[in-house]
Amino acid sequence: MPLFRPKEYFRVATVGEAVSLLKRFGGAAAILAGGTDLLVAKPPHVEYIVDISRLPLNYIKKGARGVRIGALATLNDIAASPELREEPYDVIARSTWDMGTPLTKNFATIGGNICNAAPSADMPPSLIALDAEARIIGPRGKRRVLLEDFFVGPKKSVLKRGELLAEIFVPRAPANTKAVFLKKGRTSEDIAQVNVAVRLTVDDGLCKAARIVLGAVAPTPIRAKAAERMLEGKGLKEISQIMVDVARKAAEETKPISDVRAPAEYRRSVAEVLTKRALLNLMERFGGA
Amino acid sequence: MVGKGQKMIRVTLNVNGRDYVVEVKPHWTLLHVLRDQLGLTGVKYGCGTGECGACTVLIDGKPMTSCLVLAASADGRKIVTIEGIADKGKLHPIQEAFIEAGAIQCGYCTPGMILTAKALLEKNPNPTEEEVRRAIDGNLCRCTGYVKIVKAILEAAKKMKA
Repeated sequence: MPLFRPKEYFRVATVGEAVSLLKRFGGAAAILAGGTDLLVAKPPHVEYIVDISRLPLNYIKKGARGVRIGALATLNDIAASPELREEPYDVIARSTWDMGTPLTKNFATIGGNICNAAPSADMPPSLIALDAEARIIGPRGKRRVLLEDFFVGPKKSVLKRGELLAEIFVPRAPANTKAVFLKKGRTSEDIAQVNVAVRLTVDDGLCKAARIVLGAVAPTPIRAKAAERMLEGKGLKEISQIMVDVARKAAEETKPISDVRAPAEYRRSVAEVLTKRALLNLMERFGGA
Repeated sequence: MVGKGQKMIRVTLNVNGRDYVVEVKPHWTLLHVLRDQLGLTGVKYGCGTGECGACTVLIDGKPMTSCLVLAASADGRKIVTIEGIADKGKLHPIQEAFIEAGAIQCGYCTPGMILTAKALLEKNPNPTEEEVRRAIDGNLCRCTGYVKIVKAILEAAKKMKA
């Protein structure tokens, strides 16, 4: 059996250096940030390790336009960040709670959680629900992609040869926006059987915008857009009445598979339950239930 | 031959206050180097996938599973292992508390458990039982059922304040 025996290790001091190595080595290179996925997977095809862990990308900053989270921010940094206490950004911190152990969260990074593109990853649903964008740096300069469009399939993202995720930008949310993240796994450390983030923006008693984002029920995290449309424009009282139907619709929009963690039918059913609970939670917090 | 054509990397690991200059292969973990190059066998190999905490060391003050850290990337970091916390032969108060509370059975989890406790008590000298249990969430013990470990850490907190 081939083993994980990279030929060479590079520690880069600048993003430009990282980009040029990644471009040169392509698929034979692996990015090392926290390493909590790479050193579990130990992929035998990796010939070059590009260690980006010393790049100045470990920050969480809140400005007038939104929150910027550097790709190297660790999950524990995110959990403890004062910038992520306020609604609705608190949902980002909340998403780290049921992931891994406190030890691995000291070095597992948000960039790694996103770029590994596991359909079950816990960070993407909340970030997608808040319309976050991925800020990418590559051989041709910078580009931005909505995180919703970042994932292409299991372990596949839009990142091209030489490109690096540098930052997640979460635009400032409109007033009266709240979000919730719920996860069902076999244990609190295990990856999700299903996870969901729901975000509602309410204005004058009416739902102005809704996001229902589900993970581990399709090849990528998905928005349940038909279910979202059932919420938009509705009053809080009406939402309370149609919650069950909205959750059922969201579950219909999933395309789960059966694997070692859960059968497809179970996943679909849990997707419905979690969506309903998430809506219930938001209705209580908006005072509409 | 395994590892043929691999380029060695020269790193300086600051372990327990002392600098060690070592040549490492790109895939060597910090755990491997601590045990097999530096002879610090207090750090244990458990699962190799960051789930059990037996290989916990402190890196720049934070507890991390050294099985998931490449030795090359630990270059220049301050690393503390269980061998480094006694003071000139006098056990650290957490080590004493573990012995007094009978918080050790087979002992395999103990080094990692104590280092995680040390990081916790440095950050939070007065933890609740709940906070202790949360902190050691990533350190598995298959002997004790955790009751005595939690008790030892709470006792150590008292000792260290006194």
